[in-house]
Amino acid sequence: MSGIGPLEPGEGTRAWDAPGPDDPPRTTPAHGPLARLHQRHRRAVLTAAVLILLLAGGGYLHATRDHTPRPAPSAPSSPSPSPPPFPSQVTDVSYLDAVVTPPGDTGARSFSFAVLVSVRSGPPVTVTHIGQPYAGLSVTSEPRPPFRTKAGSAQKIVITMHVKECTEVPESATLPFLNVTLRNVRTIQAHSFILGPRYAQDLSHALQVACGNDFR
Amino acid sequence: MRQRSLIAITAALAAGALTLTACGSRGGDKGSDSGNGGTIVTIGVDAPLTGDLSALGLGIKNSADLAAKTANKQNFVKGITFKILPLDDQAQPSSGQQNAVRLVADKTVLGAVGPLNSSVSESMQKVFDDAKLVQVSPANTGPSLSQGPDWRTKKVRQYKSYFRTSTTDAIQGPFAAQYVYNDAKKKKVFVIDDKKTYGAGLAGTFTEEFKKLGGKVVGTEHINPDTKDFSAVATKVKKSGADVVYYGGEYPQAGPLSKQIKAAGAKIPLVGGDGINDADFVKLAGPDSTGDLATSVGAPVEELDSAKQFVADYKAAGYKEEYSAYGGYSYDSAWAIIEAVKKVVEDNGGKLPSDARAKVTEAMQNVSFDGVTGKVSFDEFGDATNKQLTVYRVENGAFTSVKSGTFTG
Repeated sequence: MSGIGPLEPGEGTRAWDAPGPDDPPRTTPAHGPLARLHQRHRRAVLTAAVLILLLAGGGYLHATRDHTPRPAPSAPSSPSPSPPPFPSQVTDVSYLDAVVTPPGDTGARSFSFAVLVSVRSGPPVTVTHIGQPYAGLSVTSEPRPPFRTKAGSAQKIVITMHVKECTEVPESATLPFLNVTLRNVRTIQAHSFILGPRYAQDLSHALQVACGNDFR
Repeated sequence: MRQRSLIAITAALAAGALTLTACGSRGGDKGSDSGNGGTIVTIGVDAPLTGDLSALGLGIKNSADLAAKTANKQNFVKGITFKILPLDDQAQPSSGQQNAVRLVADKTVLGAVGPLNSSVSESMQKVFDDAKLVQVSPANTGPSLSQGPDWRTKKVRQYKSYFRTSTTDAIQGPFAAQYVYNDAKKKKVFVIDDKKTYGAGLAGTFTEEFKKLGGKVVGTEHINPDTKDFSAVATKVKKSGADVVYYGGEYPQAGPLSKQIKAAGAKIPLVGGDGINDADFVKLAGPDSTGDLATSVGAPVEELDSAKQFVADYKAAGYKEEYSAYGGYSYDSAWAIIEAVKKVVEDNGGKLPSDARAKVTEAMQNVSFDGVTGKVSFDEFGDATNKQLTVYRVENGAFTSVKSGTFTG
């Protein structure tokens, strides 16, 4: 090997092959003071170059590392992607107000409320059923299930209660439920939404108007 | 020369590797709870660590400990090492108050997790509030603790230092009544309680709603929680013609009570609140407890991915006792204190201020994070904004979730 050749092969490596007849001619070795200096200190120079490259690479990797915020303390730490959330964990059904009953749903003893269905995150959630727990009532809604809500959005739903039997409804309940069946790509769930005291008061008032003295 | 070259290259590789390692370890896994040096911040934990309710209390203690270890491991608050100081209140208000005094006297204590019992909390709240020391209970459900004695008609916050991650019996009792009346179709209830703040309060909110729905209360009794012989009450239940029993109290009494009611010939379900939602209830009540019901705060673990991680971490930490009903809430309570400390430290140039306790209490009001039990934050009364509840039914010797609800009012 010539004096200007490559570094000696290390253990487990091999010397470079000698040039073949079809290989492009090597450039003439450089001369001059810089070249002589280079020849004398080439191992040190090359070692320094490797070190610089490694540090530069390390710096690059550090600079380009994942800067996403540390997950919440209790968030899953495994690298595999989390499954979509259960629909009940990302869906809110909240009470808005008493509203006029939509055409087509009117009846002698029907009354309506507006609720807001919203989805905070994850895949879209489909409401497949809306119900309520009292034997003397039935419920319809506009839009009628199934309807879908995407993450980050909300839609107003009008629910209409129809009194079937006044002796089978409560005159006043503190925390009446709305039972909603929710579906997303992960699962289907029946979940109760407790719409709070304002809904309870409005429901009681509407029932008193609809039933008068016919309560049990 | 070849050796020298190899040594040089190896050194360069090692230097690069060390550089990368150093970059990667910043804020990363320190490998233990031995801390990161710096200032020690103690989180007091008060719970029944001995006695009948120790299964719940030890779960609270261990879960708070796990939160502290996790914060240290993540170097979550730079310059701060968290540790817990667990104290046993034996479910006694007087012991709880002594523990509160002791925690206040320890200047490294910047927050307290606990207690389990509402009656114990009543004796601790003022001690903590006078010292501006924040308290976060994972388990108190008595509404008056945060909303005042007249919470039904006029809610008034009692103490600025009091917070809780569990929901209240103002929701839990009516939630149970709705399920028992509408879903389980039970119309005649016999109501029993243990005369304590939690038990009597929960029985009261259940009864009120059950009657509003049209249900009938065919009998009421109070039991002495110091005894396990409930045969006289069981006979009264049998004679009453009730189709369900509601018990306001905890599992050490609820288990034998359920067993003795069935033994008296009344094959009807016993229903209780979060205080009976423990595996020990089923052991004490025996195989006839199938069909018994318990409501509990929060969503079932299987619906919360964050809870699954907590369960895995708890198991990996090697605690001897189960995390029990309040483990997730206890972790979140401790983490809320950690978050508040972090906020205070960051707002003060990386160090604790001299009035750290007051600042931590103030910061707690605005704490918000995704915890084990879901979104953790507090309303104007210091109550959890996350108000989920679940009905569990004893099936095949264990409580199994059957229905969940979310309060969105």
